[in-house]
Amino acid sequence: MKKVMIGNHAVSWGVQRSRVEVISAYPITPQTQIVEELSDMCADGRLPARYIKVESEHSAMAACIGASAAGVRTFTATSAQGLALMHELLHWAAGGRLPIVMADVNRAMAPGWNIWTDQNDSLSQRDTGWIQLYCETNQEVFDTTVQAFRLAEQINLPVMIILDAFFLSHTSEPVDLTDQEIVDEFLPQRVAQYKLDPSDPHAFGALVRPDAYMEMRWQQQEAMRDTLRVMPEVDEAWGALTGRRYGAIEEYRTEDAELLLVTSGTITSTARHVVDARRSSGEKIGLVKIKMFRPFPTALLRSALAGADRVAVLDRNISPGHGGIFAEETRSALYDVPLEDRPTLFGYVLGLGGRDVTPSVIEAIVDRTREAEAPERQDLWVGVEL
Amino acid sequence: MSDITEPGRSGRNIPPIAISRMTTEVNLTGSWKYIRPRYEDRVAPCNANCPVGIDIEGYLYLLGQGRTEEAASLLLEENPMPAVTGRVCHHPCEDGCNRANLDEPVAIHSVERRLGDIALASPPPAAPDPARDEKVAVIGSGPAGLACAYHLARIGYRVTVFEAAPEAGGMLRLGIPEYRLPRAILDRQIDRIAALGIEIRCSTAVGRDLPWSELDTFDAVFAAPGAHVGKDARIDGASDTRMVRPGLEFLKEVNAGGRPVLGDHVVVVGGGNTAMDCARSALRLGSEVTVLYRRTPLEMPAIPQEVKEAKLEGVGFRFLATPTAARAKDGSLVGIECQQMELGPPDESGRRRPVPQEEGRFSMIADCVLTAIGEDCDLEFLPEGVEISGGVAAVDELCESTTARVFVGGDAADLPRSVADALGSGKRAAIGIDHWLRERSGEEVAPPDLAALRFGPGGNLSIARERGIDPLHRASPVNEVAGWDAMNPAHFEQAPRHEDHFHAAGDLTATFGEVNFGLSEREFRDEVDRCMNCGVCNRCELCLIFCPDMAIHRRDDGEGFEIDLRYCKGCGLCAAECPRGAMAMSREES
Repeated sequence: MKKVMIGNHAVSWGVQRSRVEVISAYPITPQTQIVEELSDMCADGRLPARYIKVESEHSAMAACIGASAAGVRTFTATSAQGLALMHELLHWAAGGRLPIVMADVNRAMAPGWNIWTDQNDSLSQRDTGWIQLYCETNQEVFDTTVQAFRLAEQINLPVMIILDAFFLSHTSEPVDLTDQEIVDEFLPQRVAQYKLDPSDPHAFGALVRPDAYMEMRWQQQEAMRDTLRVMPEVDEAWGALTGRRYGAIEEYRTEDAELLLVTSGTITSTARHVVDARRSSGEKIGLVKIKMFRPFPTALLRSALAGADRVAVLDRNISPGHGGIFAEETRSALYDVPLEDRPTLFGYVLGLGGRDVTPSVIEAIVDRTREAEAPERQDLWVGVEL
Repeated sequence: MSDITEPGRSGRNIPPIAISRMTTEVNLTGSWKYIRPRYEDRVAPCNANCPVGIDIEGYLYLLGQGRTEEAASLLLEENPMPAVTGRVCHHPCEDGCNRANLDEPVAIHSVERRLGDIALASPPPAAPDPARDEKVAVIGSGPAGLACAYHLARIGYRVTVFEAAPEAGGMLRLGIPEYRLPRAILDRQIDRIAALGIEIRCSTAVGRDLPWSELDTFDAVFAAPGAHVGKDARIDGASDTRMVRPGLEFLKEVNAGGRPVLGDHVVVVGGGNTAMDCARSALRLGSEVTVLYRRTPLEMPAIPQEVKEAKLEGVGFRFLATPTAARAKDGSLVGIECQQMELGPPDESGRRRPVPQEEGRFSMIADCVLTAIGEDCDLEFLPEGVEISGGVAAVDELCESTTARVFVGGDAADLPRSVADALGSGKRAAIGIDHWLRERSGEEVAPPDLAALRFGPGGNLSIARERGIDPLHRASPVNEVAGWDAMNPAHFEQAPRHEDHFHAAGDLTATFGEVNFGLSEREFRDEVDRCMNCGVCNRCELCLIFCPDMAIHRRDDGEGFEIDLRYCKGCGLCAAECPRGAMAMSREES
C-alpha cells in the first residue's frame, strides 16, 4: 500500500508493522510526530502496544531498557538534547545487549538553540555501542525501521535509525507500506536469550570485576563485527521480499570515477543530481553513500574508494578540534590502502544547523576538489571560509 | 540468530551481559542505608473534620475493597444514624477533602447516605449483653441523646430515654422538614437504636411530667434537651398580631402534620438552616416567600446546598435588611417596616457586624413573618448545682457538668448547633459516663487519653478506639492530619465528582416528599473509588512495586507490608512514591 507521508510517520508505520510491544518516549521537535502517531495507533488499536508516558528522555530510555530486558520488542524516538540526555542509558542499553530500536531525527545541538538538521547529536553518541543507520528517503526510513528490529534482535545490539530533521521528518513522499503478512514473514516475534523472568530470577547489570569486564566488551565488539556481515544479509532478505535494498554503503556511478563524493543522509539525493549532471557532460564522477556508520564499513568503503584520484567527504557535522567526522573515519579507512591507490581526501564541513546544501553548493565543491592542488586543511568550511 | 552465550577466546565462559549467576542474598545491601522507611498511618482530613468522629476514610477503604458489611459496621461504630446524617449533615468532612486540590471533594455525604440506607435495610441489631449493672437516664431523644444512649447500650448499660414530645427524634423530627428527612427513614433509624434495648419514654418532659428527683434511681444522667426557644426578633408591634411567629414553632406544626394558612406573602427572618426550612416549608404551603437576612450571602450560616435549593424552588432573598416593625390591621398583619443594613467591623464571631444604613428604610407586604434568628435553651429543669454560662451548661469535653453524675450535651452545651456536633457530643458523653461509672464502681481505670482517641489533633473522639475494637489495622498510627502536601498527586487521575440527583424544582413546592435522591449505585461506586485514603495505607502496593531491592513484602496476615531492613538501602523511593503519605523516613541511629 503506497501512502504519501512525512518521514516521521514513515518511522511510526515501520514501528507499527514491526508489532512493537512497548513504546516509551518524550516529545521533542522535530521528532514529536513519530510518537504522536504511535500514541494514536496505540489508542485506536492499530498497534496493540503499551505506550509508557515518561517525564524525560532519560526515563524513556530507562523504560525501554526495562521492557526490553523483560523480553519484549521496544521502541523510542528522540532528537538532539533529548538524545544527549539519554547518553548514560545508551550505554546501559548496548552493554545490556538489548535490541532496542530508536529513531533519532538529526537536529543540531544547542546552544545556539536550533531545531534544524545536522548530525552532531547522533555522532556524539558514536561510542555508546549502538548500531547507527542513516537514511536518505522516507521509503528508506520505513524499510530501515523494519530491518532495524530484525538486525537488533539477531545481533543483540540496539539500533539507531537516523533521519534528517525537516528534509525527511516533515517532508512528504510516497512510501510503500509493506503488507503486514510480508513484514511478519521477515520479522518473527522476538525471542530473548536473556530476559527478566520471575520464575528464574537473576540480577541484571550488577558489578562486573576486572577479570570479566573485558570479555564482555570483547563480545560486544564481536557483535559489532558480526553486524558488518549480518546487516547486508538482513537488507538482502528484505530486498528479496520487497525489491528494496540499500546496503551498508551504496556506490552510485562509481565505475571508473576519478572523483568520488562521500555523503550521508539527504545530502546524498542532492549530490546524485550533481553526479548525474556532470556524468552527462562526461566527467568521471561518482558517489558513495554511507548508510551504516556504526559499525563502520571500513572494508566496503576501502574497496569503493581505492583507485579514485580524489574523494570529497561532505560532513554535516563537526568534531571540534578535529574535523568532519565521516571524513576522519574515511581517512582512517584509507590508511591501509597502498599509496598508489590511495585517493587524496578533501573534508568539507557544511550544512550545520540546517543550512541548505543546494546543488550549486555541491557543484562548487566538485569544482574546487578537482582544481585544488591539495586540501589546505582537514576541514574546509563551506559557506564560511570557502 | 547468533548465539550470544559463546565464551570469549580467553576460554572463560563469561556471559555477554552482567547477569547474576547465584543468589545475591549474601549482599546485605541494608547496611548501606542511613535513612530507613516505615509505614506510618496518619489521619485523613475528612476524619479530622467530622464532628461525629467517624472513621470516614476507613469505611471508604472497606467499601473500596468490596467489604460493604464491614464498612457499614465501621460507620455504625461511631455514628448511630448514618441514614440521617447522610441526608442532613452539613458535611464538613468534604470541606477538608484533599481531593479538592485535584478536582473536587469526594461526595462523602452521598456515600454515607447510601451506606446508611444499606445498613438500614439489614436486620436490626441484637441487643447487647447487659454487661453493666448501672442504669443511665438520657433526657431528650434528639441526636445527642440518642447517640449517648446508643453508645452506652452497646457497652452494656441499661438506658432509659425521656422525651418531652409524643415521638422520639428531637429536632430531627420537630425541626427538620420531611422533604429533607423522610419520617420513614427517621423512624427506622430510631427503631434500630431502640432495638439495642433502650427504653424511650415519650411525652415525658423531665421537670414538667417527671420531677428531677425521679431520676435519683439512675446512676448517671445525660441531659440533651436541645434548644427550642426561638430568640425574639424584637419587631415593634409584633404582639398586635399572631402572624409574627417563631419559625421553629411553625416548623414543629408543619412537621407534626399541620398545614397552617400563612397568607400570600411570607417573610422569613434569618439566614440559618431554620430560616431555610421555614422558607421552603412555607413555599410548599403555597405562599410566596422572601428571606430577609441582615448580612450578605457570604455570612449565611445555612448549609449552602439548602440555600441553593431554596433559590431554585423560588424563595426570594433580600440581604442586608432587618425588620423593625410590624404593621397590623384589625389583628391581621399587612406588612413590615425594614431597615437597610451595611457591614461594619467584625464582631466577636469574626463576621462583620451589620449596622443600620442611614435613611435606608423600606417596607414590605407581609401576611406572615417567621422569625428564625436562633434558639435558646430552656435549662430550668436542671438541678441547681449545674453551672449555666451564656445560656448553656458549663461542661468539660466529656460533657461532665459541675454536678456529680450529671452530664449535659447537644445544643444545651457550648457547641456549633448541628446534627453532627450533637451526635459527637452524645458520644463524648457516653465515653465520659462510662468512665465515670467504672471509676465509681471501683474499677482501676486510667483517665481517657483524649489525645489518643481523637481523629487528628482537633477532631472528635473515637469510641471504637476507646473500647479497643477498631477493626482496621493501622500501622504505627500518628495523630497527624495528612494534608495535600503529604500526597503524591502523580498517582491520581482527575475524575469528576457526582452530585446528588434532585427532584425537579418545578414539581416540589406541592409536596413534602424527599427532594434529594442521592446517587445511583454506579455513582456511589465511583465516589468510593475517588477516595484517595489520605495518610492511610490502602494496600495499593506501589511501595512494593517501586522498591528496587525487593525488600518490601506483603504481610502474612494481609494487613499491609513489612520491610526487610537487611536489604532496604534506604533509597526512599517507597515513601516518595506512596500516593497517600502513609510512609515516612527516619535517620538511622549511628
